[in-house]
Amino acid sequence: MNRLRAIAGLTGLLVLSAAAAYAQVPDPQPVDLPYGGNRTWTWVAAQLHILFAAFILGAPIFVVICEWIGMRGKDPRYERLAKEVTKVTAILYSMTALTGALFIFVLLVAYPQFTSWFVSRFSPIFAFIYPGLFIAETIVLYLYWYTWDEWQGPKKARHVALGVLLNIIGTTTLIVINGPTSFMNTPARAAGDVDMDLKTFVFEQASVFELVYNFSWIPLNIHRFIGNVVFGGFIAGLIAAYMYMAAKSDEDRAYYDWMGFVGNLIGVGALLLLPFAGYLLAFEFFEYDASVGPYMMADQLSMFFEMQGALVGLIFLASNYYIWLSMKRIEGLEDARGTIGMPLMMILFPIVMLPALQLAPLYEGVISWSVFFGLLLATLVLPPIIAKIPPFRKWTVSPTAIIKLGFLMVIFGNAIWMTPHAFVATQALATHETELPDVGFTIGAFAYSTMDLALMPTKNVAVALIVLVTIINFVIYNRAIRRGRIQWGKIDFISQFVLIFLAFSAIYTMCLMGTVRSLVRKYFHVYNVLPDFTAHSFTPTLVYSGYLWIAITLTFYAVVSFAIWVSLKPGGEKAKTSAQSGTPELAT
Amino acid sequence: MLWFNIFKKTFFGILLALIVWWVAGAMHFPFVFQVMFMLYVLLGVVVFILLDAPPMAPMSGGMAFVGLVVFYLGVSMFFIGGSAVLPQYDPNVEKGKIQKLLAPRLAKTEYGQQLALQKQIDALNQQAESIMNRLSVIGGTAVAAVGPVAVESGPLDLASFGDDHVAAGKEVYNLYECYNCHKLGGKGGTKKRGPHMDNLGNVLTKEQIKQKIFEPMAFYSEGFEKEYKKGLMPKKYKELMTDGELEVLATYLVTLKDTSVKTPKPIFP
Repeated sequence: MNRLRAIAGLTGLLVLSAAAAYAQVPDPQPVDLPYGGNRTWTWVAAQLHILFAAFILGAPIFVVICEWIGMRGKDPRYERLAKEVTKVTAILYSMTALTGALFIFVLLVAYPQFTSWFVSRFSPIFAFIYPGLFIAETIVLYLYWYTWDEWQGPKKARHVALGVLLNIIGTTTLIVINGPTSFMNTPARAAGDVDMDLKTFVFEQASVFELVYNFSWIPLNIHRFIGNVVFGGFIAGLIAAYMYMAAKSDEDRAYYDWMGFVGNLIGVGALLLLPFAGYLLAFEFFEYDASVGPYMMADQLSMFFEMQGALVGLIFLASNYYIWLSMKRIEGLEDARGTIGMPLMMILFPIVMLPALQLAPLYEGVISWSVFFGLLLATLVLPPIIAKIPPFRKWTVSPTAIIKLGFLMVIFGNAIWMTPHAFVATQALATHETELPDVGFTIGAFAYSTMDLALMPTKNVAVALIVLVTIINFVIYNRAIRRGRIQWGKIDFISQFVLIFLAFSAIYTMCLMGTVRSLVRKYFHVYNVLPDFTAHSFTPTLVYSGYLWIAITLTFYAVVSFAIWVSLKPGGEKAKTSAQSGTPELAT
Repeated sequence: MLWFNIFKKTFFGILLALIVWWVAGAMHFPFVFQVMFMLYVLLGVVVFILLDAPPMAPMSGGMAFVGLVVFYLGVSMFFIGGSAVLPQYDPNVEKGKIQKLLAPRLAKTEYGQQLALQKQIDALNQQAESIMNRLSVIGGTAVAAVGPVAVESGPLDLASFGDDHVAAGKEVYNLYECYNCHKLGGKGGTKKRGPHMDNLGNVLTKEQIKQKIFEPMAFYSEGFEKEYKKGLMPKKYKELMTDGELEVLATYLVTLKDTSVKTPKPIFP
């Protein structure tokens, strides 16, 4: 009994002393960071961390695909590409951890009360799951890298499996951390008919999973996953461009020319899906709270989306220009003439689909969908059929002419995408001098006006047109390769600047979209739950944001360039060894 | 041949740009849109010149490094220029609104009370310092002026409107940005999200307006069934607005009786 009392007493003493010690620590107060303020420093640290994280999560996805293709096809180029990108990834992995630590320290200094609440509310994630996954990923990444040379031949499949495991852990990490991130945008409400206000649910009732499984979690996962693949592809293109510029031999030039092409192919291939994933995410924000829609598209952030439209348009133009340059070095290109099907499809698509998206909503249910899909199918299926009909069968078009038409359509599509309702920072400032005019025509119930140029259905057609043209260009390129003879290493030197531009623009666009996602919380840390009482909770100007994005992009570029130089130093012993193992044929 | 090619494309490009300019003008597109369309034509010219340009001479070593640095600087300036040339939202407009919305909420928190206390201490210190300065120069020619006091946008103080609940309601309408989805006096609500407000006082009672703001699913407006089913009207106002704000907002909205504008009737499901 006495012993029990003693234990109870000791425990009480410990608790009291702990409480006393705790009580001695005053509530953490934010520190005002100089040069830009707390929000700006948090912004920079977060964005840098996200860029490195995107690369180390995105690159392994296509690395393992390349390794697998190399293993199946016995093509040493894929093996070499996978290995070189993994080497850069391993170096940048430590930068991800460093910038992650920087981010959390800046958060603790700038927003101590919010950060401590946030971390404790998601404690299972921040204390166990996330660090656990990060450690597991570190172990598997280093295992993957250090077993590369050892696990060759019959053990190669084991190595590929390790790469798959690395990606599973990486993607799980992404999905887990997207939970708290998306929660800040769209905090989950009580399910069903439970009449509980949002704050009570978030602060007291919701389980961690309920908080994670919010409106924008799944769309954010999809968007970031695709975005990371795009990013990884373009960074692979950047590596290839640097190495092509520094290459001393024709063999190396041929290899890095090929690598640049593969990087662009993967980057653009995934990019085709990205606008639709972005729409899904924006749609979920809108569904959660319709007032977010005008804030993004019509008011404070409307010009951010103008900038985004311009950037995505430039990325598509640049990637199609790269395809053009790739085609120019194909011998016998003009032999790969095509029918009028593809040009017809490119021209018909906007002509039919622009009114189709206005026409379909005039009907209800099945009829509406039938009108839409019927017309869509007609634009995609009829042109190839028409091209096979005898009078038209004789008409052929050169691949260069088709691609040139494609460029016109990309510019046309981007011009439509960029046309806003009004050229003003917020709709409240719209006047007749800045607004679209209302000029159009009416046929029965169908009406079309120039005002419709600013509506989402029109934008959707514009984006779909750009995507369609890019797909057609790749189809033509593939046909040209099959019929002609490609000369690796002979590409126009300007193509390397195009690859660098693509990576640069992709990073800049990521910074822009990350800012938009964060700003849609308006003056809240957690939307509609926790207001941000600091002086920095307002929408910054586009130009101020633009300066920051450039600063972040250049910083990231400098570190990545250094990592590429350190890991793949041209002329080094290791580079020579790998060059020998992955020398491509000069002409395939 | 190269220069002739460039000249030819530039000539036809400019011609096309002028045609586009004229057509856009004839269709009553404002000047800024005419400029945008013309820029796109000129972008097309640049692209088509690039497509047929001769191959670039390879660079290596120091030359490649310098080329890269110049390229990065060029692209950076181009991107910054792009973001600078677009219209900029003035953060001060928003800061004033946010201050008005958040200040009453901040005042209720422990942190807000600490801040208020600190502000009082700072003001007292400033006064004390000013008095000391004046004392130090008494008898002299200079008299130290009291330091400027920062003027901030005041919080949304409904009491300051006195009995003018309509004016207070108008302020609430603007602060919560109801104009994002609803048109009133020809302003706001550029897309069909919510009904026009102009004649609301003739179709809804004050109590119905209050009910709709706090319980958006209670009923919908004629012609807005799709928007109602999608739940476009946010449910957040019950949590964000105070009862006082709701009261003055409804008082203001019920005074809107412009019969020349069609505000749809309510439908109770």
